[in-house]
Amino acid sequence: MRKLLDWFERETGLISAWGRFWTQPLPPGVGWGHIFGALTLLVLVVLFLTGGALMFYYSPTPDQAYASVQYIEHYLPAGRFIRALHYWAARLIVPLIIIHILRVFFWGAYKRPRQMIWVTGVLLLLSVIGYGLTGYALPWDQKAYWGTVVRLKIAEGVPLVGEAVATFLRGGDTVGAVTLMRFFVLHVFVLSVLVFLLVAWHVLQVRRMGVTPPGVRVNEEASVEKTQRLYPEHTARIAVGAVILSVLLISLSLVFPAPLEPRANPMDTAYKPHPDFYVLWMHELVNFFPPNLEFLGSFVLPTLLVVLLLIVPFIERSPERQPRKRLLALSTGTLTLLIIVGLNVKGMEALPEPERLSPLEKRGQQVFVELKCYSCHGINGGGGPVGPDLGLGGKRDPEVVRNLLRNPSAHNPHSIMPAYHLSPDKEAALVAYIVNIGPNSKMPPIPPTEPEKPASHFEDNWFVNHKFEVRKDPGNCSDCHKSFFCQACHQNRRPSSHDAQWLKFHFGNAAERPEMCAACHSPDYCESCHKVMRHDTQWIQQHGSRLAQFGDKLQWAGQTMHQMCYQCHTPQSCQGCHSGALPASHKVANFLRDPQVGHGKLALKQGATSCNSCHQPQFCQSCHGLPMPHPEGWDSNHPQVGHKNPALCQRCHSFQEETCQTCHQAPPSSHTEDFRKEHPRRITDSGASCQVCHGRNACLNCHKTPMPHPKNWGETHGKLGQQRGWKGYDAVKKLQKAQCATCHDIKYCNQCHQP
Amino acid sequence: MEQRWTRREWLATLVKTLATLLAIVYSIPTLVMLVVPAFRRQKNPWIKVGKADEFPVGEPKAVTLSYQRRDGWVIRTVRSTVYVVAKPDGSLKVLSNICTHASCAVRWERSRSAFFCPCHAGYFDAEGKVVQGPAPRALPEYPHKVEGGLLYVRLENV
Repeated sequence: MRKLLDWFERETGLISAWGRFWTQPLPPGVGWGHIFGALTLLVLVVLFLTGGALMFYYSPTPDQAYASVQYIEHYLPAGRFIRALHYWAARLIVPLIIIHILRVFFWGAYKRPRQMIWVTGVLLLLSVIGYGLTGYALPWDQKAYWGTVVRLKIAEGVPLVGEAVATFLRGGDTVGAVTLMRFFVLHVFVLSVLVFLLVAWHVLQVRRMGVTPPGVRVNEEASVEKTQRLYPEHTARIAVGAVILSVLLISLSLVFPAPLEPRANPMDTAYKPHPDFYVLWMHELVNFFPPNLEFLGSFVLPTLLVVLLLIVPFIERSPERQPRKRLLALSTGTLTLLIIVGLNVKGMEALPEPERLSPLEKRGQQVFVELKCYSCHGINGGGGPVGPDLGLGGKRDPEVVRNLLRNPSAHNPHSIMPAYHLSPDKEAALVAYIVNIGPNSKMPPIPPTEPEKPASHFEDNWFVNHKFEVRKDPGNCSDCHKSFFCQACHQNRRPSSHDAQWLKFHFGNAAERPEMCAACHSPDYCESCHKVMRHDTQWIQQHGSRLAQFGDKLQWAGQTMHQMCYQCHTPQSCQGCHSGALPASHKVANFLRDPQVGHGKLALKQGATSCNSCHQPQFCQSCHGLPMPHPEGWDSNHPQVGHKNPALCQRCHSFQEETCQTCHQAPPSSHTEDFRKEHPRRITDSGASCQVCHGRNACLNCHKTPMPHPKNWGETHGKLGQQRGWKGYDAVKKLQKAQCATCHDIKYCNQCHQP
Repeated sequence: MEQRWTRREWLATLVKTLATLLAIVYSIPTLVMLVVPAFRRQKNPWIKVGKADEFPVGEPKAVTLSYQRRDGWVIRTVRSTVYVVAKPDGSLKVLSNICTHASCAVRWERSRSAFFCPCHAGYFDAEGKVVQGPAPRALPEYPHKVEGGLLYVRLENV
């Protein structure tokens, strides 16, 4: 081992250089004030260490960056601590550098020959600020995204180069994947190389020139006797400082984890980025200038300040280091510092009051997270894009909020928000919290969902477009979401496919892609209807009884089963079968007429209800002309009907029927003895009343010609003979004798026909 | 023999101790974060296959499973197919559909009552045993359990 080290020393000289570095002599005045440079270096090492470790897990793409940070926070052992350490170290390094710079400034340590050490120091400060600006964007949460957008916007305001620089950093027109990668590379590579080189130069120069003895004039340094060494005397101070600093750093990291806001949402217009407290003085500076000169405050003055800082050693060139003898320089420096601090304090007053929650509201905030309200509503940004952002819209009335929670659709019939029926204490807490939400409220930290939402859910217009994704592969949704997830919204707003014609077409869709239905509906959803209504092979036989049983009782979506038939079928569709394909009973021969097996018998036997399962009650009347079966009191009523329309009776009855004969044995009073001779004069209804008893052919039986004679008989009666096949003069004679003479005299013919 | 420490020695020890302490404090959580997750095994979840009594006896049924797999911070939905074999005695067997020869997907051929691998004409019986062809081993079987009438399978690398 020893040999190996000796060989290494021979070859490189590094071991003795290492020894010489630590044993370098220091002047007597070097004390506790001189530890801050070393502490800064320690914090820088911590940043490199933790940053390097984080790099193992970080993925600099917009769709994965946030997920990977969440992975670091929630799934890695010590991941949250390492990230917090990185965060707090980054926060602490800036004040440490400033303290270091102030120490160097007040001690006048930047004077000849150490001007360039000061310059590298200032460059290191700028690099660290660059680290902060680039590292800010990496978690890709709301703050990261919007902060970056705003900063690049500010950079654009710089005259001449601003726009070019901003576009270069952005890598294009919009903040996105390219921007994130650029910031990542700047953060972990470009700045790291720069800082490494600057630190090496800075430290080696200090080693070469030695630490400035305090209060000694520039030319008198050589005479100062060096009484202590870096190791162990000064390193002991540094070590104590480092332990104190580490205790601070570690406890901060353990108590306050690094913040992580909701994932960046470029569409979120409600998010209000707030500047961090250490840049507030710049914001105040900007406010001093009118808008068209804003770049003076945002760019020119800070740049001037930086340039001034860089050339401090070249302005103040007096050899004095005693603070008493450098009052001008010190007062200028102090004044500048006080102005910056003062501006910052002023800026902090303008910061919004942080949200303060009572215990009840705190409980309400928990309920808010528990119920996942954030998946639809944002609070000044963050949250889902579905519902209104709760940070907007002024003060709310607790009563209105309560009613809205219980029944959102009462407030707005199109609301898709699900109703929440909470226990009274939870509801009271939630209402108190929601009422308290104002423009300064922030989204509470949201626990990571397992599994994390896929990248598609963060696409522009995801909410509007989700139906297309569902159509592509509904199984994709059901991997994570249960069917009631869809129903929560779609109960009140059905998918656009479910239009008025939907019932007609749903079967095809369901048969082709059952997973489409399963995306929203539970498997027993179909059965709730189809257990009584299924168009299978048995349906034809069953549908009558099913309809009779459930037709008007069961309802789906406000429609009875009967009404649902008419979604596809028209009332005529029934006729398509029922006029030809009749029930078995209707198929017997002569069903309409036969009194023994015919419809009348059936109707009498089974009652009209059996007919009514298909036929409307008016169905009989359309043929019979009167309610069937005959209404009550028919026996005494029927003569009126019979007189009005005797043919009606004859459709079913003949006078010879027993039922008629029981009453009507004797001829009616009109049939007097001379009736045979007189009847042509007595009959006033064209013989209709005769037909009641004598049948339809009552006249024809005797007269052999239609009675009374039809219209135009004068012209047409001649054809009568021809019809009967008689010809010639004899035929006329024969006709006269057989037909006409029964009523008419021969002279009657001669009125027209001259012999 | 009592040794008196000089101030220098005392400070040197202090510096060394504190430096070691700080190095340990900072490096241990870092190393834990880097090393431990790499050796953490992801426990394969039980995946629901379907109702245990709905598999036809004598005819293996192909079931496509879809499940979530964590790949670091990326969560992927993975689909894979298994064959569920219901035996006449009521017990179930869940077989991989990947042939042990060249990792082609096998399918059940009803006409021959065997799993058929189209790549090199391998045949496996309903138990998954090799009947014919170049396959070196039977079709792997996945562990399964029946809970509340539902069949669950754990897809392990077998």
